[in-house]
Amino acid sequence: MTDQLTRRELLKRGAAGSALLTVPGLLAACGGKAKSSSAKSAHKLAKTLHFSNWTLYMDTNKKKHTFPSLVEFQKKYGVHVDYVEEINDNASFFGKIQGQLSRGQSVHRDIVVLTDNDRYLSLMIKKGYVEKLDKSAIPNMKNLVDVQKHPNFDQNRDYSLPWQSGMTGIAYNDTLTGPVLSVDDLLTNPKLKGKVTCLNSMGDALTLVMLSNGDDPSKVTDKSFNAAFNRVKKAVDSKQIRQFTGNDYAPILARGDLMAAMSWSGDIAQLGNKHIHWNVPKDGGALWTDNMLIPKGGNVYTASFYMNYVYDPKVQGLMEAGDPKKNITGIYYIPPVAGAGEWAKKSDPSVASNPLIFPTKKMLDSVHLFDNNALNNQKYLTQWQNLISA
Amino acid sequence: MSSIAVPTAREPNFLATVLAVVRRHVLTVYSFLFFAYLLLPIAVVMIFSFNNPTGKFNYTWQGFTWDNWRYWDGVPGIRSAIFLSLEIAVVASVIATALGTMIALALVRYGFRGRATTNILIFLPLSTPEIVLGASLLTLFLNLSFVTFGFWTILIAHIMFCISFAVVTVKARLVGFDRHLEEAAMDLGANEWTTFRKVTLPLTAPAILAALLLCFAISIDDFVVTYFNSGSEVTFPLFVWGAARIGAPAQVNVIGTAIFVVALAAMLVNVVFQRRREVRA
Amino acid sequence: MSFFHRHRGLTPYLLLGPGIAWLAVFFVVPLGFLAYQSLQSGNFDIGYAFTWSWGNYWHAIRDYHAQFVRSLEYAGLATVLALVISYPVAYWIAFRGGRWKNLLLLFIVAPFFVTYLIRTLAWETILSDNGFVVNTLQSLHVLGSSGRLLATSTAVVTGITYNFLPFMALPLYVSLEQIDGSLIEAAEDLYASKLHAFLRVTLPLSLPGVVAGTLLTFIPAAGDFINAQLLGSPENHMIGNVIQSKFLELTDYPAAASMSFILMAGILVAVAIYARIVGTEQLTGTAT
Repeated sequence: MTDQLTRRELLKRGAAGSALLTVPGLLAACGGKAKSSSAKSAHKLAKTLHFSNWTLYMDTNKKKHTFPSLVEFQKKYGVHVDYVEEINDNASFFGKIQGQLSRGQSVHRDIVVLTDNDRYLSLMIKKGYVEKLDKSAIPNMKNLVDVQKHPNFDQNRDYSLPWQSGMTGIAYNDTLTGPVLSVDDLLTNPKLKGKVTCLNSMGDALTLVMLSNGDDPSKVTDKSFNAAFNRVKKAVDSKQIRQFTGNDYAPILARGDLMAAMSWSGDIAQLGNKHIHWNVPKDGGALWTDNMLIPKGGNVYTASFYMNYVYDPKVQGLMEAGDPKKNITGIYYIPPVAGAGEWAKKSDPSVASNPLIFPTKKMLDSVHLFDNNALNNQKYLTQWQNLISA
Repeated sequence: MSSIAVPTAREPNFLATVLAVVRRHVLTVYSFLFFAYLLLPIAVVMIFSFNNPTGKFNYTWQGFTWDNWRYWDGVPGIRSAIFLSLEIAVVASVIATALGTMIALALVRYGFRGRATTNILIFLPLSTPEIVLGASLLTLFLNLSFVTFGFWTILIAHIMFCISFAVVTVKARLVGFDRHLEEAAMDLGANEWTTFRKVTLPLTAPAILAALLLCFAISIDDFVVTYFNSGSEVTFPLFVWGAARIGAPAQVNVIGTAIFVVALAAMLVNVVFQRRREVRA
Repeated sequence: MSFFHRHRGLTPYLLLGPGIAWLAVFFVVPLGFLAYQSLQSGNFDIGYAFTWSWGNYWHAIRDYHAQFVRSLEYAGLATVLALVISYPVAYWIAFRGGRWKNLLLLFIVAPFFVTYLIRTLAWETILSDNGFVVNTLQSLHVLGSSGRLLATSTAVVTGITYNFLPFMALPLYVSLEQIDGSLIEAAEDLYASKLHAFLRVTLPLSLPGVVAGTLLTFIPAAGDFINAQLLGSPENHMIGNVIQSKFLELTDYPAAASMSFILMAGILVAVAIYARIVGTEQLTGTAT
């Protein structure tokens, strides 16, 4: 963080002198260009890797409050990972970093994670806000599961690599309601009125509703969009839906304020509450993948090197499963690394047999991807946004 | 109630006394209820800082533990967020108070053209919703292509909205004080600068200190303006906002409690000192 | 420092210079940029261009009038509540506080010392569907058995009222404290009852505090989005929520900019009406 150092120095100087007080001086001090040199730097590891991730997305030692896989990485290679869980939804994180990226400035992060069922991941790549991966440093990329090898936003995986996948379905609390297994139930059952939430991500929510309507979410038409949209709107108007949420449904659900929620598989696995169940809706659920990217100005070699580390099946398996004996919780989402399951089984067999983490083939067949064009349709986006912030 | 009291208002009879006592106590009881209401959320924050959540969420009481205090920085990002907030609050409050004190001096001490405009310029930021302050500054920065969002943009914003508070606080004190002291100093041969240093400054010091504390408090608590202008930096309130989405960890309560206790202690010391001074005087 | 002697007329400008420059560059100029942005058209992908696009304002009002009205409504309601709740306490501290005055004032500002977001989250815990507040209200049949507080307008207004209460209570206290006690005694002798004395003397004398407190509460409350976000449902979203999401999530800057100006205009109109009622001298503080 050379930038931080200069900032500190400037602060000291500012405290001594009054140069700081002059407006032009300060404006000039605001300037700063991305360290493009670091992008081309030789194959030498940086001292620190800055990694921005979604919340609760890393193996955690609950006793020591550390991240075992990151500690191990530092021990092995001498790179400290400055790991921050600051991403809560794609839109606001993109909003946060795009100002700098759009003018070619570094955001001081080496890895960020964005989801493929929102428009921002492809926007980052399309707008040239990301660095190319250094594939020579990622031999373990061969372990990437086949289905993830050629996504439409990054055909050859030149810029992105999956972190974890997950499914969107319905969770319910069995102390408050019977099983809620369909979108129909969620949106219209009067017993659930005011006690359900819907996800605020259009891709997640509409995939589920379209499947329930018998439409194909991977090929959205105006007709299927309107049908799905109006169904959600009706549920809002009838006060069936209490709120639109991102990750934030989890505490409300766990607290008992909700009976059921449109939700993500891994969150429920992490909750570890035996009364809260998650299932793929009867008519099918959504599948999404969070992808690691190197934002412009990030250290490509170190970031790629780290990606290689987590693509080692053994490392990935341990990250996924944690270790109950050592009080380590895992990530509990769906790993994109082939062979991770074998290793996960060794440290926590219950994780390896959990279909939320290592889904069965039947489950995977029932989940669908959302149409990428619809994600970038301005009309749909505005309409959806107006609905969720009524 | 007044119509009954009318004929006997001047007579100190029994009924009136009882009524008066009751009325007095009604107000007192009400006030205590008011304070209970005011302090209830704070109590909740404090209690939950000792919670021992079984899952990853801190929302229902699960049992007592010291762990959250022992591992106060056991959540990634919380430590750097706190330090960034402190850093910004210190620098912003010092600069804003300096600028604000100078403006207050000019307003109280000198007659000059543009006084009314200045007053309006000071008043306006106080009467603009934070979201508009934040949004307009963001628009400025977005249009200046050389600006990097982060520490400096946050600092600029904080100084901006603190200046008016500093001016108002210091001005209130300056208006109320005796100019004769300064005139006397000048008569004794002190020049303007010496007079300022030896007379004006010591007399305004309490107000300057108050302005400093106020600016510090406002800066360290600011969410909205910072949210718009932080770029990729994370201050403590931004950290809480992010964490709230998935249920804030107990460490957030720990820090909240700690800030509360430190601030309260500082204010208590101040109150005690003031009383001592009053007693002596 | 003989410079000051020779150029005495310059001194005030030198003192004002840096601070005023700061406010000019980082407060006034940005408002200009915001105005400029509010008249642009285009979208984030292709970029925005200035086209005198007054339609942005019209669209904002057409699509979001509900949120504008709601913001003024919630803020107004919270302001009245805060006034009614805190006036008696400010009165009590000013006239009955005695030697405890400073300590009691300290308690009034205490909530300030807990981060705004954290205290709002605490209300989320307090008002939750299974919390004791909801349970009590349910057993008193104030709320139906399936009733709730969270994600309702009640919760949002409660949160706003609480969060801005010190802004109301402090100015009230300051103006009440300045009233000469003998004046009130005289009034109590003069008028038939304490109530009359209060209405004719104490209340009018405390009016500057009422005005200051009202403005300090109403203005920030009207632009708030945190309470609506954490304690409300989409039906309770205020204009702040929309501006925030348009700016930071949808990157639709012109729409967000025009809404910011409409919000400011709305507040100005509300304040102007208020000024009409209480008198302009009270508003600018020139009376005192």
